[in-house]
Amino acid sequence: MASVRTEGEALGLATIGRGEARSWENNPTLLRLVSVILFAGIWQIAGMIPVSFAFPTFFETVTALVSMIADGSLPKAYLSTLQPLLLGVILSAFLGVGIGTLCGLWRPGEWLMIPIFIVLQAAPVAAFIPMVTFIYGIGMTAKTLAVMILALPVIVLNTYKAVRNVNVSLIAMCKSFLGTRWQIVSKIILPDASPVIFAGLRLGVAAGFVGVVLAELLITPTGIGDLITYHRSRANYAEMYATIASIIALSTLTLVALQWVESRVFRPEKRGA
Amino acid sequence: MSILSRRTILGTALAMIMGAAATASAFAGDMRIAFGDLPGIESIQTLAAIERAKERGVNVELIILNDEDLAAQAVVGGQADVGIGAPYTLIQKVGVPIRVFAQISTLRFFPVVNSEFYKTWKDLDGQDIAVQARGSGTEAVMLLMAKNHGITLGKISYVPGSEVRRNALLQGTIKASIVDAANRRAIESEAPGKFVVLPVENLKATDEAVFATADYLKNNAADVDILVEELLKTAREITANPAAAVELRHKYKLLADLGAEADSEITEYYKETAEAGALALNGGGADAAADDFAFFSLAGQIEGDPATLKVEQFWDVSALDRAIAKLGAK
Repeated sequence: MASVRTEGEALGLATIGRGEARSWENNPTLLRLVSVILFAGIWQIAGMIPVSFAFPTFFETVTALVSMIADGSLPKAYLSTLQPLLLGVILSAFLGVGIGTLCGLWRPGEWLMIPIFIVLQAAPVAAFIPMVTFIYGIGMTAKTLAVMILALPVIVLNTYKAVRNVNVSLIAMCKSFLGTRWQIVSKIILPDASPVIFAGLRLGVAAGFVGVVLAELLITPTGIGDLITYHRSRANYAEMYATIASIIALSTLTLVALQWVESRVFRPEKRGA
Repeated sequence: MSILSRRTILGTALAMIMGAAATASAFAGDMRIAFGDLPGIESIQTLAAIERAKERGVNVELIILNDEDLAAQAVVGGQADVGIGAPYTLIQKVGVPIRVFAQISTLRFFPVVNSEFYKTWKDLDGQDIAVQARGSGTEAVMLLMAKNHGITLGKISYVPGSEVRRNALLQGTIKASIVDAANRRAIESEAPGKFVVLPVENLKATDEAVFATADYLKNNAADVDILVEELLKTAREITANPAAAVELRHKYKLLADLGAEADSEITEYYKETAEAGALALNGGGADAAADDFAFFSLAGQIEGDPATLKVEQFWDVSALDRAIAKLGAK
């Protein structure tokens, strides 16, 4: 009995709510803003309790962020972090899409290379980083490599799967129009595979961010990794959290931007979706 | 019905796990000591003192962490009672009442330079060096020595890990750096004559000390006294006879995974350490605090004029005073 009544109440509430709520329910910007404000509020309260002596409030963190931007330490750190990140991500994107396409089109390539990338993707990659430093030392090469170890497998595997699963009837169509092998690849396979390739690229960029922070924490502290370790050792927890939040924000913004570029520039049919 | 029974099972399992955790923590040691580093041969003295404290009835549980900051955070967060390290920054920055109660050893670092390029401190004027980390003790030693010798160092790069810097020195990728005792010996044995160890004068700062919350020190004075006494006794024993370190290792089966070949290394290490007087025979106290204020403020780890900093803001010397009264000062 009890359950029936609550159901009725819930239903009633929902119908009343629906009419009133329509105006703001259809306003995604407002909802997103509310989500951010809620998050900041919970953070502020958690910091004021405090959850831990090492947990600053939201406002302390924002103040620290502003002061770190103002004194130039954060921009300087990003300048050094972005070098291995951009280099690694760009190399991984070209290499990854290339290798993935090759493996998807050419059987021996698939057998030779795909198992390696599956192992790399499954492996806890942070464990490779000491190995990278033994071989490539502690400089830029090692850090770029750390980014690539993380970013490359997911890009290769997504591209490979996308190329392998291209709609067969489209290829048959191209052949019946006497399309050459090159035309099949450039006009049918790559465009048809592009949604999954782009998804792989986005995942790869996200993995690249993981790689660069790992490298800067585990190899030599430079850039963002240096700011995090330095402020932790100095017990400047607000600055430490500000640095961490800034790299998370940057990686999120990069991914959103990538999605936007993808739908606007490369895939006009998805516009507005 | 089936959902209900599954829920019951899950609930019971959860309750059992939580119950088990509660009993486990109830049976935890009376004194949980957090090491901020993997124990190596330099920890024989501390480990032996802990074994002896156990013999005297203190139920010690060792927690090994891979960073000194973590040891300090474990103490502040209540997951450990006693930490090992030199947490001056944390004591000052975070208003947490933790206090150092005895010094174990003083810092010993060795500036090593490639003899092809440099021979003395003066040669390092304007030259690039590599140290552990920004604001680390190694950086402070180099800056202090540069100041004492009237030179300015060039670009300072940060390379964590003495063994990493040792390899880089041996490979020639860095020409001047600073390493710990074990790696200095390794450099000398692997490339005799290729490197010069520059002298470090008048350096007396804490390398390792024991610390705990003020409450813990007040409420567990008896256990703390035993630990401090044993730390002093082992320091004095090893300083008087460095071979005692190996005997202690065998007696208490310490660092068993290093194997028998570590014995000669341990003898060498403690012979040097004893000669340098790096083991704290009297547990530091106010004098050590004054040295630390000077050193760590130079390193940028504590703020304020070293002369105005108060010992009692960082140290609780009561256990040490009792131990000295009992054992006598050396």
